[in-house]
Amino acid sequence: MSAAVKRDVREVPSFCYNCVAGPDLMTVRVENGVAVRIEPRQEAAAVHPGLGRVCVKAFGLVQKTYNPHRVLTPMKRTNPRKGRNEDPGFVPISWDEALDTIAARLKDIRARGLLNEAGLPRVAATFGHGGTPQSYMGTFPAFLSAWGPIDYSFGSGQGVKCVHSEHLYGEFWHRGFTVAADTVHTRYIISCGANVEVSGGVCAVRRHADARIRGVKRVQVEPHLSPTAACSTEWVPIKPKTDAAFLFALIHEILFAHPRERLDLAFLRDRTASPYLVAEDGYYLRDPESRKPLLWDEISGRAVAFDTEGARPTLEGRFTVADAITQGPDGEIRSWTKAACRTAFTAMVDAMAPYSPDWAAEICEIPAATIRRIAAEFLDHACVGETIEIDGETLPYRPVAVTLGKTVNNGWGAYECCWARTMLATLVGALEVPGGTLGTTVRLNRPHENRLKSVVPGEDGFMAAHFNPTGRNEWQATPSGRNAHRTLVPIVGNSPWAQALGPTHLAWMFSRDAPKEWPQPELPELWFVFRSNPAIAFWDTAKISDAMARMPFIVAFAYTFDETNHMADILLPEAGDLESTQLIRIGGSKYVEQYWSHHGFALRTPAVAPRGQARDFTWIATELAARTGLIERYNAALNRGAAGVPLSGEGYDFRLPIEQIHSVDTIWDAVCKAATAELSHGAEVHDLDWFRAHGHYVVPFKREDWYLYPTMVRLGLRFELPYQERLLRVGAELRRRLHEHNIHWWDSQLDEYLPLPQWHDVPERWVRAIRAQGYDPEDFPFWGITTKMMAYAAGNNAGIPLMDEVSANLRGHGAVIMNADTAARLGINHNDWVEVRSPTGTTEGRACLVQGCRPDTVVIPGQFAHWKTPIAKDLAYPSLNRLVPLSLELTDATGSGADVVRVAVRKIAPPARAGAA
Amino acid sequence: MNTSNATGRQQNSGVALASRRQRYWDLRAAGNFIGGGSGTGLIVAAAVAATSGTPFRVPLLLGLALIAAGLTLVWLEIGKPWRALHVFFQPRTSWMTREGIVASVMIPFGVVAAAAANPALTWLTAVLAVGFLYCQARILRAARAIVAWRQKEIVGLILAAGLAEGFALALIVGLRGGIGLGLAVAAGLAREFAWHRYCAALRREPGAAASLAVFGAPVPRRLAFVQRVGLALIAAALIVSLAGVSGTAIDAASAVLAIGGGALLALTSWGMKALLITRAAFTGALIVPVTPIRGARPESAADGKAPALVQRHAR
Amino acid sequence: MTRYVMVADLRRCVGCQTCTAACKEGNGTPPGVQWRRVLDLEVGTYPDVSRVFVPIGCQHCANPPCMEVCPSTATRQRPDGIITIDEDLCIGCSYCIMACPYDARSLVEEPHYAFGDTPTEAEAARRRKNLVGVASKCNFCVGRIDAGTARGLVPGQDPEATPLCVNACISGALSFGDIDDPDGPVARLLAENRWFRLKEREGTDPGFYYIWDKGTL
Repeated sequence: MSAAVKRDVREVPSFCYNCVAGPDLMTVRVENGVAVRIEPRQEAAAVHPGLGRVCVKAFGLVQKTYNPHRVLTPMKRTNPRKGRNEDPGFVPISWDEALDTIAARLKDIRARGLLNEAGLPRVAATFGHGGTPQSYMGTFPAFLSAWGPIDYSFGSGQGVKCVHSEHLYGEFWHRGFTVAADTVHTRYIISCGANVEVSGGVCAVRRHADARIRGVKRVQVEPHLSPTAACSTEWVPIKPKTDAAFLFALIHEILFAHPRERLDLAFLRDRTASPYLVAEDGYYLRDPESRKPLLWDEISGRAVAFDTEGARPTLEGRFTVADAITQGPDGEIRSWTKAACRTAFTAMVDAMAPYSPDWAAEICEIPAATIRRIAAEFLDHACVGETIEIDGETLPYRPVAVTLGKTVNNGWGAYECCWARTMLATLVGALEVPGGTLGTTVRLNRPHENRLKSVVPGEDGFMAAHFNPTGRNEWQATPSGRNAHRTLVPIVGNSPWAQALGPTHLAWMFSRDAPKEWPQPELPELWFVFRSNPAIAFWDTAKISDAMARMPFIVAFAYTFDETNHMADILLPEAGDLESTQLIRIGGSKYVEQYWSHHGFALRTPAVAPRGQARDFTWIATELAARTGLIERYNAALNRGAAGVPLSGEGYDFRLPIEQIHSVDTIWDAVCKAATAELSHGAEVHDLDWFRAHGHYVVPFKREDWYLYPTMVRLGLRFELPYQERLLRVGAELRRRLHEHNIHWWDSQLDEYLPLPQWHDVPERWVRAIRAQGYDPEDFPFWGITTKMMAYAAGNNAGIPLMDEVSANLRGHGAVIMNADTAARLGINHNDWVEVRSPTGTTEGRACLVQGCRPDTVVIPGQFAHWKTPIAKDLAYPSLNRLVPLSLELTDATGSGADVVRVAVRKIAPPARAGAA
Repeated sequence: MNTSNATGRQQNSGVALASRRQRYWDLRAAGNFIGGGSGTGLIVAAAVAATSGTPFRVPLLLGLALIAAGLTLVWLEIGKPWRALHVFFQPRTSWMTREGIVASVMIPFGVVAAAAANPALTWLTAVLAVGFLYCQARILRAARAIVAWRQKEIVGLILAAGLAEGFALALIVGLRGGIGLGLAVAAGLAREFAWHRYCAALRREPGAAASLAVFGAPVPRRLAFVQRVGLALIAAALIVSLAGVSGTAIDAASAVLAIGGGALLALTSWGMKALLITRAAFTGALIVPVTPIRGARPESAADGKAPALVQRHAR
Repeated sequence: MTRYVMVADLRRCVGCQTCTAACKEGNGTPPGVQWRRVLDLEVGTYPDVSRVFVPIGCQHCANPPCMEVCPSTATRQRPDGIITIDEDLCIGCSYCIMACPYDARSLVEEPHYAFGDTPTEAEAARRRKNLVGVASKCNFCVGRIDAGTARGLVPGQDPEATPLCVNACISGALSFGDIDDPDGPVARLLAENRWFRLKEREGTDPGFYYIWDKGTL
């Protein structure tokens, strides 16, 4: 183009929320109607902690938009047979035909009942990573709400996709669905595999870089030298799945090698259940009258209820209480006279006594001296007794944090790690205070946008917790969802998010082999899939694909053909990131390190017209609602807030008439107005056009609200630590319920309900699993693990050539990373082709030889091994997901498993389709 | 302003990007150095022949043709062949421009010299040809990215190799008199000496391991051996010539020795040049003298570790 | 005088390649051509290993070997230190590639695109006058600098006058500016921290500085 030609240049504000570590704000540069590049949103630099910048993924959005392989018309399947080797025979159809076909199915289902004979929803839906697809599905949540019960239990993957146990225990203990270091203030971080430099998002990367310049010490404990380990002060290689032993040893060292004065005794005494008295049966001793837990009052020298005015609780010791009760499972009360007891803190000290650094060194293969040094450094940096002023308030200053990575946080051993991490913070009063370990959002409690408001007083001086009932009459004996989350996992609760946090692989496993105690769960009659590719992203992908092929009717919102929509009946092309409209919440304290000093809303607006016949998701949702006869319920859901904001509130009312079909712009105009009115308490109202010009609207968010501690003090609440009486009781009740129903296959999971975690040989479980599959563990001598790449994590980017090109600058992209000395022993050279094998499957790729990897571990980054997605299918990259079994045995009590598998590695000849080195 | 400072080396390990083989100059570029060298040698041989009254048109024209062929090959290699005249724009600093200028003067002179069978013009052409070959040598020396080229010893090597190849080819086209044989042996020995000096320089260069590995591989080692055999055959022919013995059989045998030796010498030298321009042409390692201090100073920072072997792991 | 330089703080860089992608998209470079990229290097033996991410590209040397060898005068040095390539003069001989000690230059012989032989609309719109058959490399987004300074903006401080990679860098590792401005952020960064430049002994006087620790000698 000649420079003389006047270019029509527009800069369109938008956001990127492709991964859970967002949203971040960006600008789309459009020249003559063509989106040409993504730029940071400079206008947001003052409010966005990452200075208005977006990560590498966002720079793939232009290629993503103009990808010639996009599905750009609705399509229907013409081959009724489904399977990997069946050509679906997709043919283009009109939107009318597509929507009417779906609506006819839905109406038929509605006529027969939303639940099937087994009480399971007939309609299921699966959305991808961490709830972020909700930020791209327009008003589809209003359609789902209008519909009624939907089964969300068919997961799109766990493991590296999720910090499962942290979600559940973090939210239970400190409203920390996601947990982060207070990187802005901290001075010392122990990070067990938390790969923040790759998956923590723009805010984390910037904050950790600033912290490094400030002199933070981050100790990265993980089997291979990730970018996060690279950017840490110290890398401590650890044997996979032994993190709990390492963390226990830190606690042991702090408790047994350092004076008690190094701990935050006041915090332990007043803000935790440390002084509560534990009876010999494991339950809290309680006042016979009030049933309140007892503690030992130093002043009166006797046991008093925990909330007795003027009492000075004793932190440690063994006592005898004259007259008390304990409250066991199912309301069973046991009376005690002269009850021998110890404080919860003492119980914890006793429990940690065996776990010395020397003991842990054998298990983790970390030198005991290193463990001792890290424990001492942790104490040295904890600044017990110091304070800091935040927003004019004086708060404790405890600049030490412990963070956990995804394989640490998932599957067996995760409970122990979550407890130990939270306990380390608790010992020095570094939980939910400046510099310490923070929760950043809630999902099992409400409201989502401010976790502090979710704190309400519950039982025994703790925050209220919303467990699924395990009592004899309330327990849900027959699952209401295909993964049985309410039946099997009390702690996950029953919030709208709970189902997707249940054991999401069980839905897939049970679809073929349901437990005999339950009705054989029929597959859903209609399955919606959006921004999700479980056929690649879950474990044992061959088995998942088989299960998918048996789904009777799949409606897939399709970007390109992929491995999951290969089984679909209808493909719907939705308008993409640069083509569609949606207003979302930004800021406040959100996922991972997205805690801001502002909060508000940002708009995604079409920078360019949708390609082909792609349609805005809101249009699709509205049409589906109308054609299914649900328009009034749909509009009512919108009015209630299904598009992110209630459309009416104090002093404003932008509700939509419920009987009409509204245009996309009408709906979002109302949402924009309601959002700004809500945020400004009616002082400012901005419409859709205003947002299209300005992009975002924010108001200050108090920094003090990053921390839960002031709320706990204000409400006089204690963190439910260290002792887990509630979990002990719930576990006992669940055991009874399951056994009453003759269910014994969840017994090993029930063993996890311990009031104080104990080490069990966690890695050995994976060795045993090999044996259980009928193989000799000796034949699978390596640990196979995975790790994320920023360009790919949750981005649906496998078919974007730019992402592949720039990722190739990083070691191990598309390869099998292994220790160079190990490789030499196996006769493997850099770039040789290798096969990695487990009893579940095999995967092939080039070897990438490094020193920064344990000799017994191989790392397969990302999730590849595509066979349908254009571009991606030609990459010939390996994937750990083909090797990891869907295994009940490897599922922990929260229903999670981990991306870990024992594997064998051997050199092979290059496959025919791969080019030469 | 402080000075650029790598003194952290005592405290920190350095890291380096392993060298990479250049991807841009292929056998066409090698052909230019082969044609340029051999052509120059032939033209010089022609000039010597002209002085001694021996017919010299064939070697002169062949030499010019080789140079022209080499330039044509490189013309085929460049990205914008129709802009080739731009090559003349930078005589102040660029040896490539100088190479072009010298060639554009030399070739007409050479053609006229051949047409007129004029020894003086042939000598002038030969002088220009040596200048041309010198430019080629300096082109390589100025290519500072490529360890195997940027050595100052490359200049002597390119000159000696070119003359040796050309004199060897001259034996084949008939200049098999004592002077021709003597020049070929002398140039061959000079080439051997230059090669020895060049390899010694490479061995002193920390980043030249990859290039040395290429030259040390079995095929190049065999090439070097065969080259010496070729030189020995020519030397044998020279001894026969110096001994003054003659006879049909002896002359025939001597011719076979000279032609065979010349062919072996020229071909193997071409082979080595092709290797030098393509397979042995690695970029220099990129030394990062220190590892950065990420956050608190690590305990190991005081260890005084020496820089270690480093690989590049990405593609 | 003005001399524009790039500063990469290796303590900050996480190797994310956001700069690489921003550069590629903004400058419309063809697949495989990266004017800005980040090297991923490792040193040591297990378990004593470090990994370092090093942003690299044209070093905009004061004594550029590439310019010396360029026969066509396509490679030039501006008074502000930026080394440019005139795509209309370059003959594509690749000699500059052989001369650059920093492996900063590329040449593609055939047009090719992200998805094959046909450019996407975005690629067609961003297609450079002619990057096929000529040498190319980072030019510090010279067009942005010129357009920005013409409007009175300060490169390195005003995003609109600053190279795209610097604007995009999420860790804050990349800084840009006039090293001869003693009060500018670049001069201050270099005064307050320890740094090195690559291949100092080549005598190229590169305009690309790498910070590795705080403090001065």
